[in-house]
Amino acid sequence: MFFLKEETKVITLHPSYFGPNVREYLINRLNEEEEGRCTGDHFVICVMDMVDIGEGRVLPSNGQAEYTIKYRAIIWKPFRGETVDAIVTSVKPTGIFTLAGPLSVFIARKNIPSDIKWEPNTVPPQYTNHADQVFEKGTSLRLKILGVKPDVAAINAIGTIKEDYLGAL
Amino acid sequence: MSRNLLDQDFGSEEEDDDFNPAPAEDSDNDDVDRGEVGHHGRGEGYTENEGGGDDAGGEEEGEEDQEDEDDRGEDDEDGEDEDEDDEDAVSGRSRKRRRRGPGVHNFIEVEAGVDEDEDEGEDEEEELEFGGELHPDDADALPVGAEMDDRRHRQLDRQRELEASMDAEKQAQLLKERYGRNRAAASDAVIVPKRLLLPSVDDPSIWGVRCKAGKEREVVFAIQKRIEERPLGSRNPIKIISAFERGGAMSGYIYVEARRQADVMDALQDMSNVYPRTKMILVPVKEMPDLLRVQKSEELNPGGWVRIKRGKYQGDLAQIEEVETNGLAVTVRLVPRLDYGLNEDSGAPLADPKRKRTGANAAIARPPQRLFSEAEAKKKHSKYLSATSGLGGKLWSYLGENYAEGFLIKDMKVQHLITKNVKPRLEEVTMFARDSENGTSNLDLASLQETLKNSTAEESYLPGDPVEVFKGEQQGLIGRTSSTRGDIVTIVVTEGELAGQTIEAPVKTLRKRFREGDHVKVIGGSRYQDELGMVVQVRDDTVTLLSDMSMQEITVFSKDLRLSAETGVDGKLGMFDVHDLVQLDAATVACIVKVDRESLRVLDQNGSIRTILPTQVTNKITPRRDAVATDRNGAEIRHGDTVREVYGEQRNGLILHIHRSFLFLHNKAQAENAGIVVVRTTNVVTVSAKGGRPTGPDLSKMNPALMKNGAPGGMMGPPPSRNFGRDRLIGKTVMVRKGPFKGLVGIVKDTTDVQARVELHSKNKLVTIPKELLVVKDPVTGQTIDISRGRGGPRVPQGGSAAPPSGWQGGRTPMAAADSSRTPAWGGAISSRTPAWGGLGSRTPAWKADGSRTSNPYDGSRTAYGGAGSRTPAWNAGARTPYGGSGSGSSDFDAFAAGSRTPAWGGANAGGRTPAWSASSSTSNSKVYDAPTPGATYSAPTPGGYGGAPTPGLSAPTPGAWADSAPTPGAYNAPTPGGPPRRPYDAPTPAADFDGGSRPYDAPTPAMGGIAATPGAGPYDGDDGGPRYEEGTPSP
Repeated sequence: MFFLKEETKVITLHPSYFGPNVREYLINRLNEEEEGRCTGDHFVICVMDMVDIGEGRVLPSNGQAEYTIKYRAIIWKPFRGETVDAIVTSVKPTGIFTLAGPLSVFIARKNIPSDIKWEPNTVPPQYTNHADQVFEKGTSLRLKILGVKPDVAAINAIGTIKEDYLGAL
Repeated sequence: MSRNLLDQDFGSEEEDDDFNPAPAEDSDNDDVDRGEVGHHGRGEGYTENEGGGDDAGGEEEGEEDQEDEDDRGEDDEDGEDEDEDDEDAVSGRSRKRRRRGPGVHNFIEVEAGVDEDEDEGEDEEEELEFGGELHPDDADALPVGAEMDDRRHRQLDRQRELEASMDAEKQAQLLKERYGRNRAAASDAVIVPKRLLLPSVDDPSIWGVRCKAGKEREVVFAIQKRIEERPLGSRNPIKIISAFERGGAMSGYIYVEARRQADVMDALQDMSNVYPRTKMILVPVKEMPDLLRVQKSEELNPGGWVRIKRGKYQGDLAQIEEVETNGLAVTVRLVPRLDYGLNEDSGAPLADPKRKRTGANAAIARPPQRLFSEAEAKKKHSKYLSATSGLGGKLWSYLGENYAEGFLIKDMKVQHLITKNVKPRLEEVTMFARDSENGTSNLDLASLQETLKNSTAEESYLPGDPVEVFKGEQQGLIGRTSSTRGDIVTIVVTEGELAGQTIEAPVKTLRKRFREGDHVKVIGGSRYQDELGMVVQVRDDTVTLLSDMSMQEITVFSKDLRLSAETGVDGKLGMFDVHDLVQLDAATVACIVKVDRESLRVLDQNGSIRTILPTQVTNKITPRRDAVATDRNGAEIRHGDTVREVYGEQRNGLILHIHRSFLFLHNKAQAENAGIVVVRTTNVVTVSAKGGRPTGPDLSKMNPALMKNGAPGGMMGPPPSRNFGRDRLIGKTVMVRKGPFKGLVGIVKDTTDVQARVELHSKNKLVTIPKELLVVKDPVTGQTIDISRGRGGPRVPQGGSAAPPSGWQGGRTPMAAADSSRTPAWGGAISSRTPAWGGLGSRTPAWKADGSRTSNPYDGSRTAYGGAGSRTPAWNAGARTPYGGSGSGSSDFDAFAAGSRTPAWGGANAGGRTPAWSASSSTSNSKVYDAPTPGATYSAPTPGGYGGAPTPGLSAPTPGAWADSAPTPGAYNAPTPGGPPRRPYDAPTPAADFDGGSRPYDAPTPAMGGIAATPGAGPYDGDDGGPRYEEGTPSP
């Protein structure tokens, strides 16, 4: 699910950057560092705007300035039960690996309808029910997230296509 | 009376089911053999009748009896207060008790008969035996044959009840008077609160008396016999109230209930196997109910697991094949331990294998568990082997035992089996797994689960675990555990109508509840222990989870799972973790792909999978995050980068470890080997570097934009370029300029940065000589050759190292940097000089001499120099001129090249200098000084070099320098101009040289001179400068 989240970030600036472009530097930095970041809980999709850049505070001893920036960002936090569209990145005998945006979702064999069989002999290998459902690398599909496992800087999820209206698009 | 329990014929017990009411489902029980003999006070004299007294007729007695019965019923309940919830059982039992009490008599107190075992049999026996001893009064009251008929007993019972109920109050009064008891001995036992039925201090005490272990029952029967002999009312009555034993855990004791200890002593006097004189234990009142607690026997189901108590198969796991209807004998399936007569003494008679087996040694030296093999049996024991084909396949009969499908099929008595806490280990269980046709073993998970459930499972429930009641009245309740006590789990209901309430439920009726997607950890009970994964399927209480590590599906029982908050920490075995790099031997490293309980699976650098023990690991290689390797294209790859194989399967993955030329990659999409792949660095290309995203300037560092102009970094200048690869000096013919080998010619055999090993032509000897002392010669012509033309030659650093005052070098280098055209000049310096040298082979030493001459003590040498020295100044002159030219610009240089220098040379040659030198050859220092200073040297360069703007500035210092370095001999002038911009250096440099001796200075000096020339030669090599220069060189 997408959220608009207000967050703060602290950026330290070398004195050599002090000048008319400070703001620009900070914004660039923020965008570079934040957009696309995964906190282990959510993905930062896009930094919307700065709420407040604040005044820089010069740190004693090294002369660098510390800016605390408040900004708003669009984040995506995958939830259990959420239905998302994804693209197959690889198919294995154990299941299907997909990417839903930045999130990698694994669909275990148990979560694939039983009529969709593993066909290792086709090129490329695929899961198929020999009808409309064919899953190979690059296929778009719709899945439901079953569980989300947060990691340090990544999120892993498992999903299912064993329900109505799920499967290849 | 003592009988072998095992010999009883249980099948014939008519009362079997009567006596065994439907066992209380939820009593946690054990079967304990127990016999109890009741003795009842008879007659008025003995009124302390409790728990099973009976009477000998008469109305009053009847009433008493009634009360007794009630008491007994209460006792019953006392004994099983843990079964309180099970009303069926209780009521059933009390009913039965009532029925039995009077009939069978009075003498025999059969305690709460839940035992399914032998004792019932015994009781039966007793009944039969004592049946004849019916009291005459009772006998009168009963119809004929009543003693054998249960119904009659009941009738009598009812009769008495009726009587009792008529004047209950009166009776109660009476009884109260008589017994002085405070007990609610009302007619209706059911209403009596159970706690009031518990024994109190007013009740008779129970003493535990030592006896011979195993003879408990015998003793009890002996007591019974003695009571018969000496009944109450006789002269010497036995005054104990009851006696019983508790086998099992309490073997070695019998328990006697009596008012006084003396009564016990008296009753047990002179009885064999019992030792009343030893310490008698008075059972505390509180423990009395426990003493009489009845535990239900284990329910055995086919497919369940048991262990063998003793014999050859002691401790072995067995699977129940079949349970006989009486529940006393079972057929079990065992993995046989056979040696097929291989270890047998051929001479010994095969007669008594039984006796052999009984020894403790037999259990130790028993053969390993192996499935029966008829082939092996045939080898030595074919005569004992016979086959019968049954329905389910071939059945082998070998040495009196039956074998099917390799298993031993054996009938065993329940008491020879351990049925509780069997805890089958998976290794054992897998031996029983019959392979199905698809190769996967069809372990009967259900039966295994059944057995495991019987093991103490309460520890697997921790507060907070989500659970579900799946059995019993509260089926379907969902909640979280809040506490566990023994087998009872307290649950806070979280869903449904009862939400928020706290209920208690036995462990057996619970299962943990997981949802798909839960991140769980396997906590025990299976070989997947400590595996982490996400639940993909829940079916009843089996849960399928997807292992984080191997991406494989694992099916385990929900009780073995726990919600896991941790991430990443998968299996660990001691210090080893999955994905660790370990050293197996000096040449082999491997990455752990799986950690089992006792072994590790590793993928070694050659790509082979091995299973090793932790002890086989030499050491664990701590990961080096900063390790760097290069991929096939020479790009740098580091830990964390994503690379792809070029050939083969084109596998890709994240670099986990870099070890020498091997990379251990992790590929999440690969199921086998926990996603680990090993590749060679030369076979991969980088897909993406760690992080992947290009990052902007580091804002916490210096702004690179500011660094561009004149930043201090700029001052640093590029480090002197180094020569890589093979030193070009090697193999060259060189001449030594200085030192003991001066003038000798040889071939360079080997070099280091600063030194060269030279094989001298003359001495056929290898000597090590500083490189800067070598001059490369053409082996044929003997001409000096520049081997480093056009390159940042090795000389540059040499020059630097040779110049003792680093300030010199330092000063110069920036110059060079600032003036790009001059940097190469440095390199070229030699070349330009070299020819000069070449031309003036003889003079080179002179130069040196000149250097040495600078200091006074070398006057003599200077003199020698005189001749040769004439040119040195010239050199200087020449050097300086081009130097200036190159510094100011090419046009100057051109001009210079065109002629100004040549004349200078010429001039020098001609003699302008010579006089100077000759002057210098005169001993006076000052003269020397005079001579060079003049001008020839100075005037010439200054205009040339500083024709431009800097000239004034420079010219100003120059004199200054001059003044300072007044003592500096003329020869030193050369450098001074060389470093004009750094005036301060000028002065010290020579000074230093003076101090330190001229020799080191020497080297740079020419270099200096050379520099000047070099710029000319270097940059303009292409057009005219170089060649011309060379041309010029020889000419002098």
